[in-house]
Amino acid sequence: MSGAPGGLRTALVQLLAVVRKEIRQTVRDRRVMFLLVVAPLLQTVIFGFAIDFQVDRIPVAVADLDRTEASREHARRLLADGTLRRAADATSAEEADGMLDRNRAAAAVIFPPRFGADLDAGRTARVQVLVDGTDPNQATVAASAVSRYFGEVGQALARERAAAAGRPLPGTIRVTPRIAYNPSLRSAPFMVPGVLVMVLLIITTIVTAMGLSREREMGTLEQVMVTPIRPLVLLLGKLLPFAAIGLFDVLLVLSAGGWIFDLPFRGPLAVLGVATLLYLLVTLSLGLLISTVSRTQQQSFLAGFLVLQPALLLSGVATPIRAMPDWLQAVTLLNPVRWFIEVVRANLLRGADFADLWPRLLILLVLGLALLSAATMRFRKRLQ
Amino acid sequence: MAAPGGEPALEARGLVRRFGATTALDGLGLAVRPGELYGLVGPDGAGKTTAIRALAGLIDLDGGEARVLGLDPIREGRAVRERLGLMPQQFSLYRDLSVMENLRFFGRVYCLPRAAFRERSERLLQLTRLAPFADRRADALSGGMYKKLALACALLHRPEVLILDEPTNGVDPVSRRELWALLHEFVHGGMAVLISTPYMDEAERCDRVGLAHRGRLLDEGAPLELLARSGAATFEELFVARIREAG
Ligand SMILES: Nc1ncnc2c1ncn2[C@@H]1O[C@H](COP(=O)(O)OP(=O)(O)OP(=O)(O)O)[C@@H](O)[C@H]1O
Ligand SMILES: [Mg+2]
Repeated sequence: MSGAPGGLRTALVQLLAVVRKEIRQTVRDRRVMFLLVVAPLLQTVIFGFAIDFQVDRIPVAVADLDRTEASREHARRLLADGTLRRAADATSAEEADGMLDRNRAAAAVIFPPRFGADLDAGRTARVQVLVDGTDPNQATVAASAVSRYFGEVGQALARERAAAAGRPLPGTIRVTPRIAYNPSLRSAPFMVPGVLVMVLLIITTIVTAMGLSREREMGTLEQVMVTPIRPLVLLLGKLLPFAAIGLFDVLLVLSAGGWIFDLPFRGPLAVLGVATLLYLLVTLSLGLLISTVSRTQQQSFLAGFLVLQPALLLSGVATPIRAMPDWLQAVTLLNPVRWFIEVVRANLLRGADFADLWPRLLILLVLGLALLSAATMRFRKRLQ
Repeated sequence: MAAPGGEPALEARGLVRRFGATTALDGLGLAVRPGELYGLVGPDGAGKTTAIRALAGLIDLDGGEARVLGLDPIREGRAVRERLGLMPQQFSLYRDLSVMENLRFFGRVYCLPRAAFRERSERLLQLTRLAPFADRRADALSGGMYKKLALACALLHRPEVLILDEPTNGVDPVSRRELWALLHEFVHGGMAVLISTPYMDEAERCDRVGLAHRGRLLDEGAPLELLARSGAATFEELFVARIREAG
């Protein structure tokens, strides 16, 4: 009975019993099924479409107080490349300002009277630009579009004047950025891996944490703990079904990403598979750890979000880590989410393989094992 | 009822357990022999559940010793659990599983062979008269039916020692009588049974009773003997007198 092979057989029978029970309970719970299957799909679609980092067609109010050929021509050419869009015309600077206040435009371009006359006379002509800074990303794009345009105009004018005066032409610098891997700067290929990371983290961590606190809250843990089942077998049995669901969700999100958003699959998928397994080790252990500090399902849910929010914010999923202060950047080194999202993006978008990514995978493994041992230690203690 | 002899199957010696400032167990001791039905009788907060958890190896002790079939319930936990059945005080089965699914789960966790499981579960369902409700979800059972199912789950692996924490609490009188009848049947099969109850009138159904109060036993003995010794007419009277003596 207690011999090694018999012990293993016993453990397997018990493991299967827990797995079957867990699946039966999960399938029976509509809310959980929704959370596990429908939510990831919805999130992929919503995030893919809604989080659009690509900024163009920014609404602009134009106040042409000069009303000359020159002012009309510059207004037209400024808006020509599609970054800015003429949303309204104003008859005064005040009116244009008001349009920003009322959200009718995100920027206002004001050509003052005498703009054309100053240009003709060779004086410095002024153009006033007002930008709504509420959305810093959009504000930056709008401001730089305007200054790029007038910068080029200024250079062209300088060359014309120099030529007319018979002086040598001043040299110019042209910057031609080439954007690698995602040349059209579409945000969906960047965001879908982000959704994958978020969905897996939220679902597997929170469902695991709640599943275990449910056993505690409902008193069933006490009944199970007086049977000869080993705590580790019980834990494995509870985690395995959710690991499987997590893998299923990965396939779901990737397929949706591929069909709807043309997500490129450039790298070897084996890397993605290994990374996902390591990441599941992290998220499931985290769920287990959370359940050991919570008494009820509700506490688990709240604690889950308290942990997940900073983990996501400090992962680089939505905001670049390079933009964070140094000390926060240091914190992100301990964040498994960061390593997983880097691996996924590098693998899918850049085609990175094991040779590129093994250090990150190793870090994930170490963080996962650390979390797992902390969690099982606490779990054993909390049974008492 | 002949007092069965032999080594105690269940033994607690000077149990002490504190939770912060509360002392839940303050030197409680008792012994239950095979074939004996021992009643741990005491009001709310007397320490019955804590004593039972200590005996089942679910909590650590600050002092004293617990033994099940001569084994340490924590250090030799697995051996103890193969031979011990426990029915906790609160709901402890899976509410979203049916009667049969609960039985099957515990049958598998105890690694019962298929044939043995079928035979035992059928017999237990018959004994508890739950057979017609095999497909009903546990949370749709009445209080009495639930307790009988919990009893069936605790008995599936034929334990030598059975511990029941307030099994008759919240159960109607008819089901209560049924439950006691079932217990007597098992005891006569040689099982050692420890049962806790807040109902004084249930004391006389036991072979021996211990009156628990504030983590200690105030008195212990065969029910009629206890009454005769103290001259009290009922257990309630006896209990009140003992508590007054204890101060
Ligand atoms: N986990 C715990 N944490 C803190 N205090 C506890 C804990 N368990 C029990 N206690 C306290 O220990 C004392 C004894 O509790 P116990 O549950 O053993 O009593 P009981 O006789 O089973 O009572 P009841 O009839 O209410 O079930 C009570 O004062 C209780 O509040
Ligand atoms: Mg109790």
